[in-house]
Amino acid sequence: MISTTFPIDLVFPPQGHFTQPYLALPCIQAWLKAHGHDDVRLTDASVLAYDRFLSADYLARAARRVDESLPLERFRGLDELPFAEMEAYRAAVESAVAKDALIGSIDAAKAVLRGEDCFDPDRYAPAVRTLYHGLRLVSAAHFPSVLTPHNFTMAYANDRSAEVLAATLDRAANPFVAFYEEELLPALVARRPRLLGLSVIYGSQLIPALTLGRLVKAALPHCHVTAGGGFLAYIGKKLMAAPGLDACLDSVVFWEGEGPLLALADALKTGRSLGEVGSLTWFDRGERATRGGVRTVENAPAHPVRLDDAPVPDFEGLPFELYFSPETVLPYDVNRGCYYGECTFCTLPTVIGPGYRTRQADTIARQVVELRDRHGARHFNFITDCMPPGMIRDLPDALLAHEADITWWSDARVEPRAYTADGARRLYEAGCRKLLFGFETATPRLLKLMKKGQSARATLEVARNCAAADISVTFYAMVGFPSETKEEAGATLAFLLENADVVREVSLQTFHIDEVSEIYRDPSPFGLTMLDDPEADLQLYHDYVAEEGMTQEEAAVAFEEMMAGFRAHFPIFAGDNIYYFMQKSHYFLHLARGVTPDEFAARCRERAEHLEAVGGDGPWRAADGLATLELPFSYTATLKTLAHPLARAIRPDFLTGRYSEEASARARAALASLPRNPRLLAYAAGAAGASEVVELSPQAEPALSALADPRCDAAWLARQEPADRASLAAFAQRLARAGLLRAGERAVLTPHGAPSTASASPVPHS
Amino acid sequence: MSQKPGKPDSTGDTKKPATEAKADDASRPLSEKIGFSKLDLSVEEVEERISPRETNVFDK
Repeated sequence: MISTTFPIDLVFPPQGHFTQPYLALPCIQAWLKAHGHDDVRLTDASVLAYDRFLSADYLARAARRVDESLPLERFRGLDELPFAEMEAYRAAVESAVAKDALIGSIDAAKAVLRGEDCFDPDRYAPAVRTLYHGLRLVSAAHFPSVLTPHNFTMAYANDRSAEVLAATLDRAANPFVAFYEEELLPALVARRPRLLGLSVIYGSQLIPALTLGRLVKAALPHCHVTAGGGFLAYIGKKLMAAPGLDACLDSVVFWEGEGPLLALADALKTGRSLGEVGSLTWFDRGERATRGGVRTVENAPAHPVRLDDAPVPDFEGLPFELYFSPETVLPYDVNRGCYYGECTFCTLPTVIGPGYRTRQADTIARQVVELRDRHGARHFNFITDCMPPGMIRDLPDALLAHEADITWWSDARVEPRAYTADGARRLYEAGCRKLLFGFETATPRLLKLMKKGQSARATLEVARNCAAADISVTFYAMVGFPSETKEEAGATLAFLLENADVVREVSLQTFHIDEVSEIYRDPSPFGLTMLDDPEADLQLYHDYVAEEGMTQEEAAVAFEEMMAGFRAHFPIFAGDNIYYFMQKSHYFLHLARGVTPDEFAARCRERAEHLEAVGGDGPWRAADGLATLELPFSYTATLKTLAHPLARAIRPDFLTGRYSEEASARARAALASLPRNPRLLAYAAGAAGASEVVELSPQAEPALSALADPRCDAAWLARQEPADRASLAAFAQRLARAGLLRAGERAVLTPHGAPSTASASPVPHS
Repeated sequence: MSQKPGKPDSTGDTKKPATEAKADDASRPLSEKIGFSKLDLSVEEVEERISPRETNVFDK
């Protein structure tokens, strides 16, 4: 069956991470092509959006929008800054002070992440920071929406269909409406696909996916728009029952996508009924339809594919050059589901479909080699919930036998029989550089309640074996599991800190209950009472009342305490090294180059200490693009208020995307307005300092001017009183530490206030 | 150090190119002595609003 007349488009909608491609759609593309559909096009709209948003001309456009919608002047006339205005004030200030510097430096920052400079921490950290700050400008232009490298949220609740659908129409706050219209839709309309498949893995993709679905359905009425993926495996059924959803989608595919997408494409192409397409829930818009001209039909589940028969994932069409990574890291699924499948909190294996299935080790090695040769990729991210002991033993042998010569990282389950000292060495030989284990907690009682089937001692032994083999170890941990006490959370923190020489990273999450979990279905053994929100027709996560242990609020506090402990004791969490934790693929690429975890930790430690000591090495010159801004209210005080737990609660929870109903009212009532307090903000994009933005008293203006004025040279400085020279030097030293001044030849001051022999340089300022 | 109007084709309000700043500086009278030690030269660093909390466990 040749189907050149049946174009299919597969799109990964924003927002997902931007360092490497996703796997689901390449698997489906390969399956469709292997079964006769050769006109398939793959689009990673998420990385396209990041690339577009983080461009000089888009940031300039965003800056103009902020000037119009959130001008700083609006706040200058206020006598006080009420809590309700603080988010807007923060966005206005950050945009005003940073926009020109960001517009000027964003292209260079992207080039750093895509090239060899990515491996230079002094280039890397400022570049990542510039990207993060660029997204703040994009967000401010669509206030109060927030786009980060890790999330996208709007003022609309993700668990209410009416709000989700309204968000798809909100041009002012939804940046993806215009992005799709300008960047995606013209090519789609020209191509006229008959089937569009959207992959929705995360909650952050829901609104952007439905936004695209709505636009495509309006522009191409004959294109069937379907969506699937992990997040929809959870809420797809509720979504398909939502009034008005049929304006955005025609169907939802549940669980694994290969079989259903092929059956759907075949049915659409031949005009057969969709009733036979397995794992599909679809809108029947025919004569028998009832509700608003549409009838929702839920088909029987499809048979999962035999994984060993699945073809090599086909990444053709993805824009490899646009990922923010110096080298390609390809995802590859070694198995699907979880062979253990007992953990009471975990529902991840359920989203891929029934049962546990694996490829043979030889198949994996053969396909990996094919991908290596096809794409020139030497690095892989093995996608798996966990590898069983047999595979942990067999896979290294197969990779070595096929001379794969790759490096890789993956999630892992604690298997003491497999991760022995010898086993870990063998894994390293076969390219394994990083493993992420589900540690969860150090408390035996809780491990039993979780049915983890492992002890903290065994986990540590496995970690030690891996660390000794120079495999970097990450622990997943959680706080707030039902009945956990503050003391138990503290004991887990102490355990992790004691073993910071073995565990390089901790990925900590607060405990949440989703509707698929065993705990939700039977909460009584855990001493919980579930709370339902009748207004939330797309509800996935549930609040609860616990009979004992920490409340959800107390768990949130314990989370912050644990994170503070990590920031203080784990080198990769210290200072701006945190970017290596936030962009895990970038840390892995250092390991892939032969840096050992010990060496990397030492580098991180040295870098953090060096940044603390910066400022002692004058003379200095101004950072490029130093900008200053007069403020009517303190920016740091605003941030402090917005960091209060009550203030944070008004934003949707990161993991669940949920809003708390009363949070805004509680925060407004409890958090005081800020008094007028004229301040001066100084900012330098791309500065390699500890902060790159500082707040000063307006009295600092003459000092900044002196540092900027070429006439304030060594002779001029020599005429100042010793105490004044010392004050100016101390001031410059602190600015240097923040990255606003840099060590350089042409500066006026040395750390002790003595004039340098070099002549002064201009410090650009406003 | 106050905000000045941007150029018509600029994005806004606060910043000038270094060369412009230099010209402005040169046109201002230069104080022979400035009592820096009597000024509030405190520097308040702003901690990055980057939190590991905001990382999806699936992020790469």
